[in-house]
Amino acid sequence: MLKVEQVVKTYETVRAVDGLSFEARPGEIFGLIGPNGAGKSTTIRMIMNIIAPDSGSIRFDGERLSESDKARIGYLPEERGLYKKAKVGESLEYLAALKGMRLQDARASIDAWLRRFGIADWRERKVSELSKGMGQKVQFIGAVAHKPSIVLFDEPFSGLDPVAQDELLAAMVELKAAGVTVLFSTHVMDHAEKICERILLVDRGREVLYGPLAEVKARHGRNAVQLEFDGDAAFVKDLPFVETVVAYPRWVEVELREGSEPDQLFRAVAGRLRVRRFEAVTPSLHKIFVRLVGRSPEETAGAGAGEALRA
Amino acid sequence: MRKLALIVRHEFRMATANKAFVILTVLGPFLILAVTVLPTFLANNPAAMSAGRPVAISSAVPGAAETLAESFKAMGVAVAFTDDPQAAKAAVLDGSSAGYVVVEAGWPDAGRALFYSKTGVDATMYASTQAILGAFARELRIGAAGIDPALVRGILADAPFEVLKIGPEGNEESKTQDDFMEALFVSLSFVMVLYMTVLLYGQMIGASVVREKTSKTVEVMLSSVTSRELMFGKIFGLGLAGLLQYGVWISVALALVKLVGPAFDIAVPASISPENLGWLLVFFLLAFFLYSSAYAALGAASEDEHHLGQLAWPLLMFLIVPLVMVTSFIMSPDSALATALSIFPMTAPLVMLIRVLVSDPPAWQLAISVAAVSASVIGMALLASKIFRTGILMTGKRARLGEILRWVSVK
Repeated sequence: MLKVEQVVKTYETVRAVDGLSFEARPGEIFGLIGPNGAGKSTTIRMIMNIIAPDSGSIRFDGERLSESDKARIGYLPEERGLYKKAKVGESLEYLAALKGMRLQDARASIDAWLRRFGIADWRERKVSELSKGMGQKVQFIGAVAHKPSIVLFDEPFSGLDPVAQDELLAAMVELKAAGVTVLFSTHVMDHAEKICERILLVDRGREVLYGPLAEVKARHGRNAVQLEFDGDAAFVKDLPFVETVVAYPRWVEVELREGSEPDQLFRAVAGRLRVRRFEAVTPSLHKIFVRLVGRSPEETAGAGAGEALRA
Repeated sequence: MRKLALIVRHEFRMATANKAFVILTVLGPFLILAVTVLPTFLANNPAAMSAGRPVAISSAVPGAAETLAESFKAMGVAVAFTDDPQAAKAAVLDGSSAGYVVVEAGWPDAGRALFYSKTGVDATMYASTQAILGAFARELRIGAAGIDPALVRGILADAPFEVLKIGPEGNEESKTQDDFMEALFVSLSFVMVLYMTVLLYGQMIGASVVREKTSKTVEVMLSSVTSRELMFGKIFGLGLAGLLQYGVWISVALALVKLVGPAFDIAVPASISPENLGWLLVFFLLAFFLYSSAYAALGAASEDEHHLGQLAWPLLMFLIVPLVMVTSFIMSPDSALATALSIFPMTAPLVMLIRVLVSDPPAWQLAISVAAVSASVIGMALLASKIFRTGILMTGKRARLGEILRWVSVK
């Protein structure tokens, strides 16, 4: 189990991480979620012992984090991080060797993963020849080939096509089933919502929300309705019992005021729109974030930390 | 240590398994060959230039043809007298004749002396001809003035003059201008080799660190190793590649001196001695570690290679200054400036190498120089690893040198 307690990290004048605490357990996918500059990368770096927290503690199975713990961690960076001129197989063997794995074991593990992703022919090719999707798979193998007990995935799906996303997702679920602690960091709320069991939502280095996703949603769940339709739904936001609307041309997510019923909305739109789908839902994480923080997670969390240190 | 060894091996492989490295390692010996042995083969005397082909001579001035023939023969150049200008010019053109000299009637006061050349750039050839004819013309004029040419020759004869170098055991060794040129040449080549390799390897380290940042490999690496292991792994890996390269070059140079030279009776410059090659290696290693640590730190602090280039300017100055002053250091290797710069750590490797090559600096100065650079290497490495640790994770900000130095104090 990974236990982070009250960690603080300050860069010059910016508090990149301001007293975060959370637990990630074996066999679960834990989401570290927040906009760019929220302090995710800094937190991940502290977990990987690349930088030390100013205060607070990080423990693995009750023990304080130390350099030797690096062998137990696997890391998938957001952007590709392999030596471009090296061959795929060589690079992966090198990474596994740095994690303390014996060459034969590393080869066996790497081959198995390459076959699993159907890229075994690429073993002898140069890293620079890989496409984005293939590169991400190779990078993924680099993070897991040494059989770590904790894996940190930083925006693993960015820039991937849906097929590649599904492949990676399936592999992540497999790791979770094998008892690995999977820490998943993203600013894309949709991804987190589909994958994570428990989440920590951060903004400007502080906790916004923490707990099992279902509980979080239930806690912040108000009356919300997703509506798919043909026609002009502009009038919906002016209805008296509507709190907020996330609107797209053929789709809206409507949050109702307290005490109102989805049925009221149904009656209001009937006849004015051709309703394709009408569903009472708990609000999306995206919506919860917007309500709690007051802006969309796609906007960065302000200058300071984000610019200077990709925090 | 195991991780460090792995990084060293990986970096060594990356550095050596590329075309540029192989080409440089292989071409290096040719460069050494060029500065050591080739000059003796180069056709810079008339005999070599004529290559057995005769110089055609046609003279209307009594004695001129004979004087030319005599002097050319003494130089090892064949001559042929001719009365047929057309045929002689044709022979020059088709290359069967090394040149065609015409001395017109009335020369040197009324007529002309001409040298027909195929290329016009065979200066050695026509300069010799000019010298022979010039001396002959003076004798003609001296004779015409009623003075005995033999008397004048006696008066103008060179006075004896010798340069003797006193060796450490009091032995004396004759020196000539050629020896100075040779010392200049060898020292220049050694200094150039040192300068080029230190600069090349320094920039390779810097670029490699910047690439580590821009390609985002650094976080993956740091998830396995410490920043210190990463930096020193890179430096040692590349250092090993440099050592391999120097090993090849020095072996070739030694083989030239010990085997090829004696076997083919080629005069190899005396300053290419095992001792001097040893000093070259010592100063390379010292300079390499000093500059590569600095470059690693600056690489870590840079946004991209362009930024690295800007930050590395002050560093480059320390390498360029001794290079600009190399001739004066060779001519006065024990001047106060040379002595000072041979002890100041940043310039010491280059300047002390020059002094060792052309002079015989006191042992205590050598000891201080080596000690000063070694101490600076340790200091620079410590400083660099601190800057590296902070800089390597820094992105999106073009730091100035002052800020970078402040990172040293980051906890």
